[in-house]
Amino acid sequence: MPDTAAQKLFEVHERRIRDAVALKTPDRVPVVPNGPAWPARALGVKMSALATDPMVSYPTIIGAYTSLGEIDGIQSPAYHVSSLSMMWLSKVKVPGRDLPEDELWQVDETELMTLADYAAIVEEGFGPWLDRYYAERLPGTVEAFTDWAKTVPDALATCREKGIVPFTPAVATIPYEYFCGGRSMKEFLLDLFRRPDKVQAAMDAALPVLIEQMRGVIRGLDLMGLWIGGWRSAGEFVSPRLWNRFVFPYYKQMVDAAIEEGAIPVLHFDANWTRDLERLRELPKAKCVLSLDGKTDIFKAKEILGDHMCIMGDVPPRMLSLGTPEEVSEYSKRLIREIGPGGFILSSGCDVPIDAKYENVKAMVEAVL
Amino acid sequence: MPSSPLAQALGDLDEATVVRLVEEKLVAGEMPLAILHELQAGMSIVGERFESDEYFLSELIYAADIFKNAGAPLQEGLRGQSQERLGTMVLGTVKNDIHDFGKDIVATVMSSNGIEIINLGVNVEHQAFVDAIKECRPELVGLSCLLTTAFEDMKETIRTIEAAGLRGQVKILVGGGPVDQATADYVGADVYCKTAQDGVTAGKKFLGVS
Repeated sequence: MPDTAAQKLFEVHERRIRDAVALKTPDRVPVVPNGPAWPARALGVKMSALATDPMVSYPTIIGAYTSLGEIDGIQSPAYHVSSLSMMWLSKVKVPGRDLPEDELWQVDETELMTLADYAAIVEEGFGPWLDRYYAERLPGTVEAFTDWAKTVPDALATCREKGIVPFTPAVATIPYEYFCGGRSMKEFLLDLFRRPDKVQAAMDAALPVLIEQMRGVIRGLDLMGLWIGGWRSAGEFVSPRLWNRFVFPYYKQMVDAAIEEGAIPVLHFDANWTRDLERLRELPKAKCVLSLDGKTDIFKAKEILGDHMCIMGDVPPRMLSLGTPEEVSEYSKRLIREIGPGGFILSSGCDVPIDAKYENVKAMVEAVL
Repeated sequence: MPSSPLAQALGDLDEATVVRLVEEKLVAGEMPLAILHELQAGMSIVGERFESDEYFLSELIYAADIFKNAGAPLQEGLRGQSQERLGTMVLGTVKNDIHDFGKDIVATVMSSNGIEIINLGVNVEHQAFVDAIKECRPELVGLSCLLTTAFEDMKETIRTIEAAGLRGQVKILVGGGPVDQATADYVGADVYCKTAQDGVTAGKKFLGVS
């Protein structure tokens, strides 16, 4: 990073984020937006190019978010649509191929993974099984993902050169999320009732492999943080009995491993996790971030976890799409006041949606000033 | 009134007992419609437990699947009989959105609570809802989406129903990942349903059976 002004700016931004994670109060609340689709719409770039061409995606994402004012970081400056298939074990409808060129990609949730796969995972080992699954059922995905992955270091370097922290440019998740995507949610939930031991055996076979993969990514990209994602494993969807067996113990191990590698695990938890917030106190103090999407009660999260874990979020997608700048500004300032100012990072709830109004996203960014 | 053993078994998610009791009752010559009513009473127990946070979506789905499987042998006997449906709902994921999980859960849970579902699928054209309302004369219409970009299609669907002069005949329920009360107000729906069980509760209320 030759530009010393940018270097200094980067250090300021990084310090703010690290202070927030450590539950300290930075000079101001850091703002770290997220979401790859809105930048394309904001800059008039075709969604098909954003989704599939790495040389388009990262300049677009970085360009759009840095145009808003002084942001501290971008959660993920790099994007390729194949990453969704890799993690959901599902086909994805891609703009320009399966959808009109300027539409948003959509996961095509079908039962691509079968009941027999649970036993196959245990017999073959998760790694070999996964390679076979991708090759047979999602052909071309690994190749596209691998090509894209080679460009991620450039994306991170570009971000840093502008003084912006690429906060969480990689995603890991627990076996539950992989299997739920591959089986489809309804079938997977039925599996948890009808063949719980088989599911657990496959999860136990998968977890060490996923953790090793995650360790490799953290080291390879020298990551400051990464997402440990949860979307279908939220308490909103699963009873405590199932959650305690199939969800939390796996997150705990993954979080511990990420911290051991020196990375900040950002629990990117979509949907409603309010019921289980207390359990998150079992994760290491002042080392993680809980990132919420507007569905979990973020004020309750502050009450329960405020002295234990940094909280990030959660300007709701609906507000960014349909609301006014005044509404966004008012809500963002309430977050800064009540969830912050210490131990808080302002962001959108999950992604800034594709159809968010520019002035609304700008109002969120400016709320920290 | 205490629940029957069959209703209780379904309420307790005791799948083996539910299946066994239905078989025994059919062998004993009990009327399929009476057995169906017991199963529906079991789904009411499940709904109550969901509302009191004893059960979650996982249990709703499992219960509805037990209901479907246990009820399959009754279908032959129910053919031609009036099943005293509580009402009908035309349901679909609106145009420009292909996500079907939430919508299908609503279909499963509502149909196991006695509301007939006309499932139009995903990416449903605005006019297709109007055509279905004309053909099936439902009391309820359910619109689902997972994408904020589909809010406009939700709104447009309701506008199309209005333009066809059918808005007064149906109550419109909306739900899905990013949908909230403000979205329901924006698109002009009657009710925002946070969960599938909210749909059952609201549906029954509109049908005058709650």
